[in-house]
Amino acid sequence: MNLLGRRLPAAALVLLAGGLVGAVLAPPDRFQGDYQRLMYVHVPTAWVAYLCFGLTGVASALWLWRRTGRFDRLAAASAELGVLFTGLTIVLGSWWGKPVWGVWWTWDPRLVTTALMFFVYLGYLALRRATLDPLARARRSAVLGVVAVVQVPVVHMSVVWWRALHQPPTVLKPGDPTIDHRMLAVLLLNVVAFTVFALMLLRARLRLTVLEDELATARAAEDTEVAGGVVTAPQLEGRMRDV
Amino acid sequence: MSEWAWVTIGFVITFGALAGYTLRLRLRAEAIRRERVRR
Repeated sequence: MNLLGRRLPAAALVLLAGGLVGAVLAPPDRFQGDYQRLMYVHVPTAWVAYLCFGLTGVASALWLWRRTGRFDRLAAASAELGVLFTGLTIVLGSWWGKPVWGVWWTWDPRLVTTALMFFVYLGYLALRRATLDPLARARRSAVLGVVAVVQVPVVHMSVVWWRALHQPPTVLKPGDPTIDHRMLAVLLLNVVAFTVFALMLLRARLRLTVLEDELATARAAEDTEVAGGVVTAPQLEGRMRDV
Repeated sequence: MSEWAWVTIGFVITFGALAGYTLRLRLRAEAIRRERVRR
C-alpha cells in the first residue's frame, strides 16, 4: 500500500509551488510592507485547522450514529492534522505579530481561543492514547469530538464578538472581501494548495492507522499464543463492527 | 533582520513542519512494514 499515493502529492506540490511564487510576487502591504506576506501561510494553516476539526466533529457524530470504525479513524486522523495546523497557525501568528504588533503574544480573544482549541484537541489525542478498549476509546473521543467542534465558530467570530487587536475577517465574512484582488487571488491559491496537501496527509494518516491496527492485531495474536491457557486476555466492553 | 529574511524564515518554518510530518508518517509506515515482515 502506497502511503501517499501519486496524483494527490503531485497536485499538492504543484499548487504549493504556485502559491509560494504568488506569495513572493504579490504586492507588499501599504502599512505592513513585506511582513504581510506571512498571511499567505498563516491564513491557509488556520483554514485547514478549522476544516480538520470540522471533519473530526462530523466523523464523531457519524460514529455515534453508525458505530463504524472507519468514522473513528477519520475523526482521529483529522484531529491529529488539526493539531498540527493549529500549532503552525499559532507559531506563524506569533512570528507575524512580533514585527507588526511588537509582541510575540498578547491576551487577545482570537489568540486565547485558538490556544484553548489547540489544548482541547491535544487533550482529545491524549484521551485516545489513554484508553485501550477500542469501543470505549471511540465513544469517549466521539463525544469530545462533537463537543469540541463548537470552538471553531467561536475562534472565527472572536474578533467580531469581542474587542480584539487581531484584525477582523477579510474573506470569510458577509459582503465582499476587503482585500486587494491580487492579494486575494494569491491567498485563495494558497488556501486551495494547503487544503489539497492536507487531504494528502489525511489519506496517508488513515492508511498508517490501518497498518498500526493490523500490527496491533498481529501482536495480540502472538501474545495469546505465548500465554497459552495460563493468562486470559482482558475482557473489553465490546467490539465495533470493523475495528 | 530584513523584512524578507523574516518572511523567509516564516515560510521555512511552515514548509519544514509539513515536510517533517510527512516524513514522520512515511518512516512510521516503513517501520511497521519491516516489523510485519520480521514476524
